[in-house]
Amino acid sequence: MIRYILQRLAGMIVVMFLVVTIVFVIVRVTPGDPAAVMLGPDATAQDIADLRSRLGLDRTLVVQYLFYIGQLLKGDLGQSIFLNIPVGTALLQRAEPTFFLTIFSLLIASAIALPIGIYAAYRRGSLIDQAATTLAMLAASIPSFWLGLILMQFFAVRLNLFPVSGYGGPGSSFGERMYHLMLPAVALGLVSSALILRFTRASMLDVLGDDYIRTARAKGMVERKVVLKHALKNALIPILTVLGLTAAVLVSGAVVTETVFGLPGIGNLVVSAVLRRDYPVIQGALLVIAALYVLINFAIDMLYLLVDPRVRY
Amino acid sequence: MRMKLAFLVTTALIAGPCLSLAADRGGVIDVATIGEPPTLDPMASTADLVGIVTQHMFETLYTFDKNWNVTPLLAESLPEITDDGKAYTITLRTGITFHDGSEMTSEDVLASLGRWTKLASRGKQAAGFIASMEAPDADTVLIKLTQPYAPLTSLLAFNNSAAIVIPSEKQAEPMAEFVGTGPYMLKERKADQYIQLARFDGYMSRDGESDGYGGARHQYLDEIRFVPVPDPNTRVEAAVSGQYAYVDSIPVESYDKLKSSSASEPVLLEPFGYPVFVFNTKEGVSSKLEIRKAITQALNMEDMLAAAFGSTDFYGLDGAFYPESYSWHSDAGVDGNYNLGDPEGAAEAAKAAGYDGAPVRILTSRQYEFHYKMAQVAAEYLKLAGFTVDMQVVDWATLTQRRADPALWDVYITHSPFLPEPALIGALSTSSPGWWDTPARKAAVDPFTSEADPAKRVELWANVQKVIYDELPLIKIGDFNAVAAKSTKLEGVDPAPWPYFWNASIAK
Repeated sequence: MIRYILQRLAGMIVVMFLVVTIVFVIVRVTPGDPAAVMLGPDATAQDIADLRSRLGLDRTLVVQYLFYIGQLLKGDLGQSIFLNIPVGTALLQRAEPTFFLTIFSLLIASAIALPIGIYAAYRRGSLIDQAATTLAMLAASIPSFWLGLILMQFFAVRLNLFPVSGYGGPGSSFGERMYHLMLPAVALGLVSSALILRFTRASMLDVLGDDYIRTARAKGMVERKVVLKHALKNALIPILTVLGLTAAVLVSGAVVTETVFGLPGIGNLVVSAVLRRDYPVIQGALLVIAALYVLINFAIDMLYLLVDPRVRY
Repeated sequence: MRMKLAFLVTTALIAGPCLSLAADRGGVIDVATIGEPPTLDPMASTADLVGIVTQHMFETLYTFDKNWNVTPLLAESLPEITDDGKAYTITLRTGITFHDGSEMTSEDVLASLGRWTKLASRGKQAAGFIASMEAPDADTVLIKLTQPYAPLTSLLAFNNSAAIVIPSEKQAEPMAEFVGTGPYMLKERKADQYIQLARFDGYMSRDGESDGYGGARHQYLDEIRFVPVPDPNTRVEAAVSGQYAYVDSIPVESYDKLKSSSASEPVLLEPFGYPVFVFNTKEGVSSKLEIRKAITQALNMEDMLAAAFGSTDFYGLDGAFYPESYSWHSDAGVDGNYNLGDPEGAAEAAKAAGYDGAPVRILTSRQYEFHYKMAQVAAEYLKLAGFTVDMQVVDWATLTQRRADPALWDVYITHSPFLPEPALIGALSTSSPGWWDTPARKAAVDPFTSEADPAKRVELWANVQKVIYDELPLIKIGDFNAVAAKSTKLEGVDPAPWPYFWNASIAK
């Protein structure tokens, strides 16, 4: 077990090193210049060259890379070119909306997908099963930003129940900030529920056909107990996997949804950093996102141990 | 009792109209902007968004009135200029305090102008003409020039790449403390969430009436908050729902939707500016004047503007670089050179010019959708004229980088508001991408920049415009309007290219 954990940690370090290198190269070979963006449309070539020099962008790629690796080894993600604050601080400032958007979206998605998926599998072939499967396909094919705009149009513009965009002004309470997350969370939750629903249904169908379920029923166990205790517990591994992956996608920033709703989250930060070519922020954000992916996957693997005693590492 | 009632009614009737004329004091407004400004140091950027936000915090020696004439702001009056046009004496207003409570003196102005000439693009433009700057006393600054340079006061008045005045001990680069003399001061900035400005109680407004960016600046509002809303559709919905007091940059196709809103109303700035096609005169296919003329001959500006802006409510056909409402307006050079839409004639002209089928590389971006739409129409007209067209559609950051390399493009598309001083037009500079540098340009531009007499300068500008049409370093496509939205309760906001809110108030 300990050996397995150590192996996984070593693997994570290799993955992170590769991510750092690939992101660094991709960001630098992408056309565009942060100095030109910062100085504005009427800046002269000399102004741009001066600023590039000040930012250290005129040095060779190898020198810049080694400098960056040196910074990372000291635990420093660098300084944002545009925000003029450490990248770590910028990411922390954006963590709250992204974190709670992820939590709410997952809760909404799970609240919809798990019961419907279980019931659809239990009543396989019924009208409810067919309706659930069709709705899941529909939800999976709807882009979350489009659904967001529809929800915005109806609930924010027409009914005036929610704000259209933003994350609350100065001094806004925690509750007010969470209120701003409701519409985007519903949009993301509805779309994410499709995948979870399909996995739940498929996984439950697999389990419900197994011999031990037939045995439980033959022993006269009540049906609710058969489904929710015996079947669901054994169907949880693939469901946990898909929940974890969905969480990873959401944590990495529901990029388009955050942009549409004007939420100052990590996704929005990455988008604006890419548009401005804020290299340190792009690099730092992608590094943290990759780390989260790896950690969430690791956590899921550890959870398997709890849910299924047969799993051994 | 009756007497008392009659007195009260009479008093109310007399006082009522007077009270309704006075704006309500207090309140907070949220202003939706197109994004987060790249910096809050207005010297460090020429981006419009930087100017829009920071003009509330920082002030310049001069600014522009509603007719785009230079008018004093931190200076007491317009500068005294010697007859030879080479020395500017600037008398400062007294009793002006910075947001940190310190008093503004000529030492602060001198240090700020020094920073401006080293750091700001427009400051560097002026620096080439400045021989020395000194402060004879605490309320006076003297600028000596190497040769007459008439655009100096306009450069000192502009709100981006701006010659702002900040305390002499706070001249760090990058700017560490945002301390100005403006009517509002920075309270808190949460990047990508809001920029919160609060009323500066120590502000000393100019006397008299408000006049464009000049004159009295009232501080009716307690706070102004700039909130980035980068998605244009979200800005429209936010305006319709009334979430923001003011929403900048609304797509023109949403104008009717806004008109039907009960919470907000459209603000139309007519005209706002003009799109231009800038030619690469240094290298490649468009470096040849005859080819530039053939390309211009092929293009139909009306079709391009219609594709870009939809309705004539939002665009106008005009080849002059300034509309009639500006003193700079002139038709010189326009007749016979604008909106020709003659691809057949262009094909013959291109052939006569020895066009060999090399692709015309049009560099454009979808950051501004109207650029892209105009490029598409232009490409079709050029193909009709027998040109091979290579559309290079990139994001704005890539465009600003690529346009600096003359080997990479032939035409790039941009736009500009009508700048108060023609010398501020970037394409007139020989170092600007396009690199227009000919004897005719020098013969026209140099006298224009060195002439001090305003009436003569208008004539000289007409000559510059004529030379632009003769040599075609760029093509003006037409005029276009800008649409914004404001709450029906917001008062005191006039349409402006860089909207300002110091005279704004909320009706109760």
